[in-house]
Amino acid sequence: MKKNIQMPKLSEQMETGVLAAWNKEAGDVVKKGEVLFEIETEKVVSEVESMESGVLKEVFFEAGDEIKVDDIIAVIDCD
Amino acid sequence: MEKKPEWLKVSYNKEAVEEVSGLMAKLKLNTVCKEANCPNLGECYKKRTATFMILGNICTRHCRFCNVGSGVVEAVDPKEPQHLAEAVKELDLKHVVITSVTRDDLADGGAGHFADTIKAVRKLNPGVTIEVLIPDLQGVEKHLDIVIAAKPDVINHNVETVRELYPEVRPEADYDRSMQVIQYVKTKAPQIKTKTGIMVGLGETEEQIYQVMDDSLKAGCDIFTIGQYLQPSSKHIAVKAYVTPEKFEKYKTIGEAKGFHYIASSPLVRSSYRAEEALEGGKS
Repeated sequence: MKKNIQMPKLSEQMETGVLAAWNKEAGDVVKKGEVLFEIETEKVVSEVESMESGVLKEVFFEAGDEIKVDDIIAVIDCD
Repeated sequence: MEKKPEWLKVSYNKEAVEEVSGLMAKLKLNTVCKEANCPNLGECYKKRTATFMILGNICTRHCRFCNVGSGVVEAVDPKEPQHLAEAVKELDLKHVVITSVTRDDLADGGAGHFADTIKAVRKLNPGVTIEVLIPDLQGVEKHLDIVIAAKPDVINHNVETVRELYPEVRPEADYDRSMQVIQYVKTKAPQIKTKTGIMVGLGETEEQIYQVMDDSLKAGCDIFTIGQYLQPSSKHIAVKAYVTPEKFEKYKTIGEAKGFHYIASSPLVRSSYRAEEALEGGKS
């Protein structure tokens, strides 16, 4: 089953965040709890953990992109 | 957005954050974690811990570092003490930290509500240790007495920054009054652990930091915290410097040598971060 991974809202006022880095590439196996990507906001860089286990199928943004909260960042094919 | 140093990295687990956030919403409770946009929210919520913020989420002061909103304050929720006690039970906390907005509009500054909350938590959660992080209550001794009489285990009042930066950072507060709050608590109730803390990276010098340590010790402070100031938004006071982890370690070593029972000093330390460890460390 495919699931969309959305830009998380890391704080109350957050409207956008910068994708600081990908820790996985398309095609990689991902385990639940592993860090998928890093988001830079006003205060810190957050390592965002995957909520699913499966294979990362597609990614729609690159490091350095500013992304709106709830925008689809990637698709994961869940186990 | 300015690139952050590599040591300012935190973890985020959506499920954990939503679980604790959901409980707070259900019980109509505020956390300073959320209101202050705390960088440690993800870690603390994953451990099922949070710092409660009572007396609403609107503050009557306008400190330039703080993300908590100011404006028209709300009426105090009389059910809040009971709800907070229920949340402590639900989260199975062994140590609870309770803070508040500053309520200069209330006759007792909110001291009575603090006391009611401490009592409610104790009643429903015998054995839990309680830390309150209080505003200065304008230094009014009879108001401080109300909080002291409820016998929290720790009374924390943050001086926040060095004396020289008060006009810029805490324009409505007074460095000496904050020190007097700590001194009064220690004099009146020596068994209560006293705690204070500062943010660094606001343009202070090392000597000014050591002066705060000396002043705090003189006032009878047991536990001291030092963390990096992080700018919540471009409208807030700017970060002047990102202090390195090595420098934080130096502050810890010097502070311990000066005589604090416990010092927490690292970039992501906040006054309530791992507060249980600080209390244990401060018991010696």
